[in-house]
Amino acid sequence: MESFAGRWPGTTRAGSMRRNPAAPWRHVDLLLLGSVGLIALIGTLMVFSSTRGTGSAPANTAILERHLAFVATGITVMALTTMADYRRFRDWAPLMYGVVCLLLLGVVSPFGTEVNGAQAWFQIGPVQVQPSEFSKIAVIVGLASLGAHFGSDIDLRRLAILLAVPGIPLALIMLQPDPGTAMVFVAITMGMLLVTGVRAKHIAGLTLVGLTAVVGLLSSGLLADYQKDRLTVFLNPAAGLQAEAYNLNQSKIAIGSGGVLGKGLFNGTQTQLDIVPEQHTDFIFTAVGEELGFLGAATLLVLFALVGWRIWRIAQLSRDQFGVLLCVGVLSLLAFQIFQNAGMTMGIMPITGIPLPFVSYGGSSTIALFAGLGLVQGVHMRRFT
Amino acid sequence: MSQRVESPRLRLGVLGIVVIALFVPLFARLWYLQVLSSESFTEAAEANRVRVVQVEAPRGRILDRDGTVLVDNRVSIVVTVDRVRFAELEDAERTAMLERLSAELSRYGSPATVEQLQDRVDDVRYSRYAPVPVAEDATEELKIYIEEHQELFPSVAVERVAVRRYPYGTRAAHVIGSVGEINDEELEERANKPKTYIRGNQIGKTGVERIYEDDLRGTPGQTVFEVDAMGDPVRILEDLSAPPIPGDDVWLTIDIETQALSEDLLAQALEDARNRRVSGSNLPNRGNAGSVVVTDPRNGEVLAMASYPVFDPADFVNGISSTRWEFLNSDEADKPILNRAIQGVYAPGSTYKLFTGLAAMVHGLRTPEQPFLDQGTFTIEDCRGPGCTFRNAGSKAYGVVDMRRAMTVSSDAYFYSIGADFWNNRGRLGDEAQQETIRTFGFGQETGVPLPSEQDGRVPTPQQRKAQYEANPELFLTGDWFTGDNVIMTIGQGDVGVTPLQLANGYATFANGGTRYAPNIARKITRSGSPDTIKRSFEPRINGRVEMDPAHRQALLDGLVGVTTRDGGTARATFAGFPNDTFPVAGKTGTAEVDQKADTALFAAFGPAPAPEFQVAVVLEESGFGGTAAAPVARALFDVFAGVAPMPVIQPGGALVEPPLEGAEVDDTSERPADRLGQIAEGGAD
Repeated sequence: MESFAGRWPGTTRAGSMRRNPAAPWRHVDLLLLGSVGLIALIGTLMVFSSTRGTGSAPANTAILERHLAFVATGITVMALTTMADYRRFRDWAPLMYGVVCLLLLGVVSPFGTEVNGAQAWFQIGPVQVQPSEFSKIAVIVGLASLGAHFGSDIDLRRLAILLAVPGIPLALIMLQPDPGTAMVFVAITMGMLLVTGVRAKHIAGLTLVGLTAVVGLLSSGLLADYQKDRLTVFLNPAAGLQAEAYNLNQSKIAIGSGGVLGKGLFNGTQTQLDIVPEQHTDFIFTAVGEELGFLGAATLLVLFALVGWRIWRIAQLSRDQFGVLLCVGVLSLLAFQIFQNAGMTMGIMPITGIPLPFVSYGGSSTIALFAGLGLVQGVHMRRFT
Repeated sequence: MSQRVESPRLRLGVLGIVVIALFVPLFARLWYLQVLSSESFTEAAEANRVRVVQVEAPRGRILDRDGTVLVDNRVSIVVTVDRVRFAELEDAERTAMLERLSAELSRYGSPATVEQLQDRVDDVRYSRYAPVPVAEDATEELKIYIEEHQELFPSVAVERVAVRRYPYGTRAAHVIGSVGEINDEELEERANKPKTYIRGNQIGKTGVERIYEDDLRGTPGQTVFEVDAMGDPVRILEDLSAPPIPGDDVWLTIDIETQALSEDLLAQALEDARNRRVSGSNLPNRGNAGSVVVTDPRNGEVLAMASYPVFDPADFVNGISSTRWEFLNSDEADKPILNRAIQGVYAPGSTYKLFTGLAAMVHGLRTPEQPFLDQGTFTIEDCRGPGCTFRNAGSKAYGVVDMRRAMTVSSDAYFYSIGADFWNNRGRLGDEAQQETIRTFGFGQETGVPLPSEQDGRVPTPQQRKAQYEANPELFLTGDWFTGDNVIMTIGQGDVGVTPLQLANGYATFANGGTRYAPNIARKITRSGSPDTIKRSFEPRINGRVEMDPAHRQALLDGLVGVTTRDGGTARATFAGFPNDTFPVAGKTGTAEVDQKADTALFAAFGPAPAPEFQVAVVLEESGFGGTAAAPVARALFDVFAGVAPMPVIQPGGALVEPPLEGAEVDDTSERPADRLGQIAEGGAD
């Protein structure tokens, strides 16, 4: 009965929950929940600010409305994920993984839709679905499941099996091609392998292989020139393709001109005049920097750090290795995307199409990330059960 | 749970450190961008935000001394293409639209090919935010057609713009000058001027338009747009925008009637010279070019400055065609673009004798009454050969002459002897004694008239001769200076060169008793729309003073008055019937020899002596005798100045007509002064 109540708390009466000290709902991590809530609020404001339109015309709320719908869906998905006992996902891992791989295969087929040079979307009516965002969660669950199964003793054969888990979707994503998402996969994999117990020398070896792969990728014909340029322009903004250097410079101008206090919500000239491209999606951090200033942008980063610390702490508290690895996977995913996305807008990382978690406009990403957070919350809630 | 508890804990710790290591550079970078270097990024953001479009202001007007408008602005219909909208059209639509536009422009009399239109639209030198002009001075019909068929001409607009208008046609064209589109060089020169210039702006190119550019140019207004990332205007920032302010009005010293009369007399005199038969072996008169300058000797104001041939400043409105420009600069057309009053350099001939005569007295080589026997020739002492003897014009012998008489009859021999004496006494007086006196009257240097490209003329010296020869030994026969060089200088020949304005100004300096003014061309500048608000006024500018012994001056003045009044005076016949008693005119004829060409006819005169109010200089290229060809121009002008003939009235377009009869006191002098030219008898030569 307890486990049933844990999975479907809505079916029990509130009274019984209060009496049971191990009831999962008593152990919701409110700090994690609150931080993400604040981040999503900032994100919503910034999405609106960068899409409300300019001039004296009435504000355009179309994007805001869609964004709110995505966030609401994401929170619902998070709640549902939290309700289910996370250990059930061990059983569902192969299914999730298989479905995601099929979707990734489908997206590079003629069924997929190309946007900005990457064939990464399914167009379903008015909605665009990006399977690679969901594949991140599926790979985390898959790796966590296998990693927990293998335990701490991972030899080369087991390592190879573990690597195959992200390897297949990674290969399919490179067919789109989407080097940014591929980098996220690498980050997730490295983070999780580090904690599974892969030997230090193997980690070192993998790092070496990874670096070689990056160099190889840049010199191979797999990426178009403009994609390579996006990846390398941050090293020397003056020498890049004009459009890429423009993005980067305008992004830095926007953030830099925000100063300590910012220009005020809806008052950033770079933001309101659409001078920075893709500002409600990949470059939304520039809007935060310009309009909310150092205080706002640093607060956002602090909130992200709080989220990271909570997830890391939940990993420590987890009662099983599967939970640990789930948390590590989600932490690696978030930490890398935050670093990569914010770093790119400030000119210290390559330009890639990676969203800023819980802030950028984008349905697939928002929903998938909330689902990931639901898994982590589940680990925390069920650390005694 | 795992059996090896330590290991996963340690590994999680490593992961935590890695994550912290990712956050630290983000904070550091954020600090750097937003706190340490925020200022420069703020400037860059502001520059991103706005675009400034200049609104050109109308140019100020140019008026004559009494306020008659010589130059103002009129509306020209200009067809423009909005580049931003043009770029948004489909390729095929663009081509089709240009083809239609080309056809309609041609149909309504402003032909342009599709290629020409395309080139204009593509010209990157035009501002992106201001429409590009593709046809100027289009007809009202074309404007109506395009506006009624706007759907056929997307991105095309028809605007009215202000361009220069010349109510009196070519009158005073050389003084007024022209305006044209600013070129790269001018743009660079004026980069930091308060009245900013941009590509496509009009700027004064020559004449007064150029010299008083800073006053005539209006203060451009500006419209400040806030723009988005595409550069498309979002809204106008009213508090940063400003309306244009028209330029200021320039009032010239020129009197337009005197100017027009001088021009007509000049053209008539040249035509008469062309029709005059020449005697013997003389070359026929081409009478192709010349200049008349009238100044006020009391203050240096230029009352008229005529140059022939003339050009039409209206040719420059909307840009002059290259063929027209080449024509205006061609030798075949005698370079109508030249303002010969300040850019033509002529041998002054006998008009120079005023100054060489004074030089002789100043340096003690002659007294006014010292007699000289003119036998028609002069031979340099101790010199043998054909180059040692110099003849009077026409080999006339004038008998015993003094300074007065020599001036009146224009005795060359008298002055030849002065030149030889200067050289023979160079040990005492120095090599350049004669030149020193000549230069005090402003010769060999710019007069300082506020007009561009003034020539400084030539007063040759032995030193110059030597320097020229050493610089270009193959170009000159010799670097030495001979007695003969001094001799012919006294009669304004050799390498001597003066501009008509220099000649007028030299005579005016003598006329007013020795004050050399820098001629003024403008009296004042007034604010646009309020002629009583004087921004600047131009006071007489004194460039130098010549101290003259009253006895010397009187002798020369007597001699000059004799030219028009006494028997043997070289312009006496021309001034027959002139009221010499009430308005004595002092003048000097000149007939300067020019290699391979007919003589230059000159006449410089002022009146009424001894306190003159008018100074006239006439120079006619390839026109023969000064007394015959040039003096009648001055006579006709002095008829008007003396009140003998009425001042004609100028009509719109520039034509001169007789003034309406006002009463009985005006008798038979109502004939046009220009008509008098034909009636004046062929007079004495000099």
